[in-house]
Amino acid sequence: MPGAPRPTAIHVDRAQCMGSGMCIMYAANTFAHDDETKAVVIDIDGDSLEALHNAVEACPTGALALVYESEGV
Amino acid sequence: MTSTNPILDLDRVREIFDLAGSYLVWTGGKYRDDPYPLWHDLRQRAPVQPGVVHQLMGVTDDIGFHGLPEPDREHFSAFSWAACDAAYRDPETFASSPEPVDVESGQATITNSLLSMGGAQHRRYRALVQPSFGPARARWWIENWIDQTVHALIDCFEAQGRAELNVEFCAAIPVLTITGSFGVPVDQALDIRETVSRQPDALIEIIKPIVAARREHPQNDLISVLTHSEVSDEEGATHRLSDAEIYSFSLLLLAAGSGTTWKQMGIALTAMLSRPEVLAAVAADRNLLRPAIEETMRWMPTDPMFSRWLAQDAELEGQHLPKGSVLHMCIGAANRDPARWDRPDEYDISRPLKPTFGFGGGPHVCLGQHVARAEMTVGINALLDRLPGLRLDPDAEPPTFGGLYERGATAIPVVFG
Repeated sequence: MPGAPRPTAIHVDRAQCMGSGMCIMYAANTFAHDDETKAVVIDIDGDSLEALHNAVEACPTGALALVYESEGV
Repeated sequence: MTSTNPILDLDRVREIFDLAGSYLVWTGGKYRDDPYPLWHDLRQRAPVQPGVVHQLMGVTDDIGFHGLPEPDREHFSAFSWAACDAAYRDPETFASSPEPVDVESGQATITNSLLSMGGAQHRRYRALVQPSFGPARARWWIENWIDQTVHALIDCFEAQGRAELNVEFCAAIPVLTITGSFGVPVDQALDIRETVSRQPDALIEIIKPIVAARREHPQNDLISVLTHSEVSDEEGATHRLSDAEIYSFSLLLLAAGSGTTWKQMGIALTAMLSRPEVLAAVAADRNLLRPAIEETMRWMPTDPMFSRWLAQDAELEGQHLPKGSVLHMCIGAANRDPARWDRPDEYDISRPLKPTFGFGGGPHVCLGQHVARAEMTVGINALLDRLPGLRLDPDAEPPTFGGLYERGATAIPVVFG
C-alpha cells in the first residue's frame, strides 16, 4: 500500500487482549508481550502498513485498532 | 523398511500414526479423494447451507469430528471465508459448547476442557497456559525439547541414505515434544498417544504420579506450570488447579499436541518435495521457509473443520440458524475462497502473507500454534541442513494426501546424499 497514510497510534484493548501472539506473528517489530502476556506497542514504525493490517485482522479478540490523527483521538 | 530406531518403536509409531488405521478411521481416515473441488462447488451453491460437511460431499460413511454426530440437533455448514470469519468473531452467538463446562465433576474427556469453555471461564483458564505457548516462549520449547528430538531422529536414518519421513520424523517430533514437556519418559510417549483419545482414564494413571511429584518439586516443564498455576473464580478468589483441572488440561494438550503437527509437517514436506523447485529455493534461502509453512497452513490445514453451537438464533450469509443448532465451519474451504485469494488452489509460497484459518480463529485460536511453527521450522531446517540432495524416492510411490476431517500425507519416502 504505497502512499497510504500510516497510523499515528495503535490502540490495544487490554481487557480484550488474550495474549495469543498473533500480532507478534505478523508484526514482530511493532508488538511484544508484557509481563502479563498482553500486547504492547514497542515501535509504531516497526513494520509495513500491510503487516499492521494483518496483525489487526488476525487478532482473535479484535483487541487492536489502528488510530489515525485525523480521527482526533 | 527395516530401520532400527533406538528412540521409538517404529512399527508401533506406524500403527498409531496410520491415517487409514483404526486410530483415525472415525475421522474419515480412509478418505483418499481431493475434497477441494467439492468444497468449491458447495461454496458456490451457498456460503452457508443446511447439512453436515462430509454428507454434503456425498460421503455416506459413519465418520465424524468436532461437533458430530449430535443426531438430535439441526446441522449447518459454512464454506466461505466471510461466513467462517463472522462466526469466529462472535463467540457469544457461536459457542464452543452447547452447555457449560464442568471440569471438576464432569467426565475426563478431550472436550470437557478449555476447548469447550466460553466467555470469562475460557479467558481465565486460557490465561493460565497462554504464557507458556506465546511467541517469546518458542525458544524454551526449542531448547528444551524440539532441537534434541529433531536431531536424535535424524541421527537414526542419516547414514541410510533413505527414510520414510511421515513415520520416522513427522509423527515422532510432536509426540516426543509434548510428552517431554509433561515430564513423561520417552518409553511412555507412545502409551500417551495411544490412550489419549481411547482411554482417557489410562492416560490419567500415567500422569498422576508426575503431577504429584511436580506439586512437591516443580521443574522447568509444562506440568509444573499447571501444578503451580492459580485460577480465580467468578468471585475473584484464587485457588491452585485441582487434579481434575490439571488432568483436563493434560488430555487436551497431549491430544492436540501429539497429532496435529505430525500431519501438518507431513503436508508441508510433501508440498515442497513434490515441487523440487520450491524445495531448492527454500534450501538456498531459509527465509522462504516461513512463507512455505504459512502457505501450507492456508493450502491444506490438517484439521479442515471445526464446529460451533448456536447460543441464540442468528442469520449468517442469508441462512437462518436456529438456537441449539450446530454450525460446521469448513475452514479448509474458507482458506481457498477465491474472494480472498487469487488462484486459491495453487500452492504458491510467493503470496503476500495474510491471515488464514489454518490454526482456526477467534478466542479459541490454536494455543499451540507457535510451538507447531517452531517444530516445523526446526524440523525442516534440520532436514535441509543435514540431508543434502533430499528428494522424493524416485522408485517409491509418491506421497498422496488422505483423510477427511484429519488430513495428512500417506507416506513420505525420501532419499538423500
